[in-house]
Amino acid sequence: MSAPRHHVIIGTGVAGNQAARTLRQREPEARISLLTLSALPFYNRYDLPRVFRGVHDWREFLVDPPAYYEQQRIGLRRCTRVVNVDAKRKVVMLEHNEELPYDTLLVASGGRAYLPEELSEYQPLLDGFGSFEQAMAMRRKLPDGGTVAILGGDMIGLDLARTLIDTGHRVALIAGKQTFWPHQETPEQRQKLLQVLERMGLDVLEADDEGGIASIEAGARGFATRRVVFGSGRECPADVVLPSFGLVPSVEFMLGSGIGIERGLLVSPTLRTTDESILAAGDVCQIWSGEERRYRFYYGWKNVRVMGELAARNLTGEDETFEPAQDETLHIEDGATIHSPFWEYA
Amino acid sequence: MRTDVQISICGSAGEGTIAAGDILRNALAAAGYRIISFDAYPAEIRGFGKCVARLRATTDQVYSLKEKSDVLVCLNDEHSIPHVGDVRDFGAVIYESKSLAHLSEGGHVSAHVRPGQIPYPLALRELSERATGAIRSRNLVALGYLAGLYSLAPEPFLRIIESKFKGKGAAAEANRKAFETGRAVGMETFKLDMVVFGRPVAGLQSVMLSGNAAVVDGCLDAGIDNFFGYPITPATTIMERLAVEMPKRGKRLVQTEDEISAIAATIGAGYTGARAATATSGPGLALMSEMLGLGIMAEVPAVLLVSQRGGPSTGIPTKTEQSDLNMALYGSPGDAPRIVIAPTNVEGCYRCAGKAFEMAECYQTPVIVLLDLYLSNRYETVVMPAKPPFEPNCDKPLAKQELGTGYKRFALTPDGVSPRALPGTAGGMHVVTGLEHNEFGRVNEQPENHEAMSRKRHEKLLAALHHPDFTHYKRFGDEGRVEVGLLAWGSTFGECLAAMFRARTEGLRCAAMKVVMLQPFPAKAVAEFIDQCDVVLVPELNYQGQFARLVQAETGRLVHRYGRVCGGPIAVADILAEVQRLVGAHRQKAA
Repeated sequence: MSAPRHHVIIGTGVAGNQAARTLRQREPEARISLLTLSALPFYNRYDLPRVFRGVHDWREFLVDPPAYYEQQRIGLRRCTRVVNVDAKRKVVMLEHNEELPYDTLLVASGGRAYLPEELSEYQPLLDGFGSFEQAMAMRRKLPDGGTVAILGGDMIGLDLARTLIDTGHRVALIAGKQTFWPHQETPEQRQKLLQVLERMGLDVLEADDEGGIASIEAGARGFATRRVVFGSGRECPADVVLPSFGLVPSVEFMLGSGIGIERGLLVSPTLRTTDESILAAGDVCQIWSGEERRYRFYYGWKNVRVMGELAARNLTGEDETFEPAQDETLHIEDGATIHSPFWEYA
Repeated sequence: MRTDVQISICGSAGEGTIAAGDILRNALAAAGYRIISFDAYPAEIRGFGKCVARLRATTDQVYSLKEKSDVLVCLNDEHSIPHVGDVRDFGAVIYESKSLAHLSEGGHVSAHVRPGQIPYPLALRELSERATGAIRSRNLVALGYLAGLYSLAPEPFLRIIESKFKGKGAAAEANRKAFETGRAVGMETFKLDMVVFGRPVAGLQSVMLSGNAAVVDGCLDAGIDNFFGYPITPATTIMERLAVEMPKRGKRLVQTEDEISAIAATIGAGYTGARAATATSGPGLALMSEMLGLGIMAEVPAVLLVSQRGGPSTGIPTKTEQSDLNMALYGSPGDAPRIVIAPTNVEGCYRCAGKAFEMAECYQTPVIVLLDLYLSNRYETVVMPAKPPFEPNCDKPLAKQELGTGYKRFALTPDGVSPRALPGTAGGMHVVTGLEHNEFGRVNEQPENHEAMSRKRHEKLLAALHHPDFTHYKRFGDEGRVEVGLLAWGSTFGECLAAMFRARTEGLRCAAMKVVMLQPFPAKAVAEFIDQCDVVLVPELNYQGQFARLVQAETGRLVHRYGRVCGGPIAVADILAEVQRLVGAHRQKAA
């Protein structure tokens, strides 16, 4: 009798957790290890704006209680950074010098917030909103009625903006080419969408109209703590400056693995990489689209969940192809409300 | 807000684990928290053995450590891994984030942190090196991190570090820097666990003492004149501390060549009227047992401070056990009655040590104060009495007319205690021998004399059951008839008390009794207690159920033995489980 297989999943987002759940159902005896940089079990990051509605206990955001992982015999290894994958030896190298052997590997490491290079020198003056810890830090920093300057304005940032406006804060949107990321809109649609945002209560500034962002400065005493300074000389004061330029896939640890990488991990429609033991799912992978004749990303909670499930099925004997689970268009409803499938995560 | 936080620090011998625990408990005590703390360490001095320092900081009075810690600090992966599971849900596990060695799967602490626990990886080595140029201060980095993470005031820590490394300028400075470095990182760390330190107790006038330190204070406050000892774990620190304190008071301490010499010298000093003591552990008591018989036969006051450890033979010398009870009660040739008292907490160590000198004089016999490693090495914050509660002289008055040629050193008196003439007392000349003797002390083997003298030596001790200002036994919990009674002695009583409180919160009518006076045994009171309980459980740290057997023999009542030899205290949860099992069985039987 052969030993149960060891499935290692890098990433505990929607894709990784869905994969673990499906793997457990389909292979009850298997060993499953979930690796994550986070200190917390899988929680709903899309729900983080609730910290501004008074929800400050991270346990409120958990998708499954901690006991779930023990009941399901899913090894959850948090604060664990993968530094390398040796596909030949089927070993994951962890930063703390531990080797973790696998039979199959699913890379579902997602993406991290993208920061344009020209803004990278201002990082110490910028805030993040990608984790519970960052969300709470921002909440502590932001006074009642305070102002958040959102640079770029991807759909994650705009989701937060909705909550901030609802909770009595001010939001200045410094719009640019990443506004509405990952949606792609025509110039006409974009104008209408920006008008809707203004009607929602956001102060919208087109960065290009002001000569682009020249710098970000720390505010003087008695004033807002930050200033976004434009090429035109105009300034936008804010208590918090949040870059919101979309995501870049987290693939650094895969660079030496021999797996095909463009921006993300390149996978077939069955989510297989060039190594038969390694699959990828979620925001980290570019899936081959036969129709478009290119590798492309598919975003959104529903798509990512489907990828996680599909990867697990294909790791356990199936050979099914990915079918997108949500459309990618941005709508304006009733002339006043933006509707994005990207925000559908309930 | 109430505080009840238990922190464990786990490392390898030589990594500063126990030192870190010592600084932490003293700093938290100085900040105003009540502390109960116990360190486990290996028999080896340095190199490989596991050390665990545990402390519980509270605002309410507590009696034992908790089974689950709130925070675990891991200074060593291999030793810490088995303890990760001892951390409660939503508690914290702090560990070295980078291993120097290549690890196979599961070789790092992070692999064992359960989903409900919060991991805090920390670059202990790197931070220590950055702060001090060496990695050995990572224990202080970890303490600083705790202080920063839980917003603990740094001043008490810095004061304790300063005092601990007094006179070692460079070490004090390095450790202060390491602490500050760790603290800065802790303050920046986002706290995700549910561990909270509330405000400490205002105006708590307490001192932090180990059981052995309290014994020493009791000896000093009772006016000890002479101490003779030979080192043995876990009693050694009694001698070490007395060696510092006694000369300051003009008193004498001698480290003898072995335990036999130690007790011989103690009895010799006691014979001259000095308040004298020795300290040892089970193996030492075995060596002392013959000479102990001389003390009993010659009716000489002497105090034996005996701290038990795991046996038999060399056994597990740095682990606790309560398996020398039989030897303390009976271990000498012949009918050799002696007084045996056993404190149940650190404050009790102080009182029992001091009272032992009173009793030894009052009843002219050796008195054994029976401790165990868990009590000797346990630290607690104790509120000390304003002035020593011990009588400086308890010798029976000696009338002038009793002296002279007819002086009877071993006179048969109604209470069995004979007026004692110290050497050099005019008219007090007498013979002292280990042979059976008559009232004058002269050898006499006649059956009537042996019977009378045996009766005298036994019955004079009964008065000790009423020795003033001494808690011989005490009942806690529900009054009147109860479903279950817990009967305990020594260090185990703390866990019994904690189990009793939990049983009561679960709706059981429950009481607990501690028995401090083990010989002579307060049989009447214990029998009354047993009679009021549907079932009685006797938890103790020995396999044979030595105390349970004593109770049954002395009271004629049956009790349920619960003996464990786990090297550490019995877990409260285990006692509680046994209580529930017994009560369940009793209810079923009654139905």
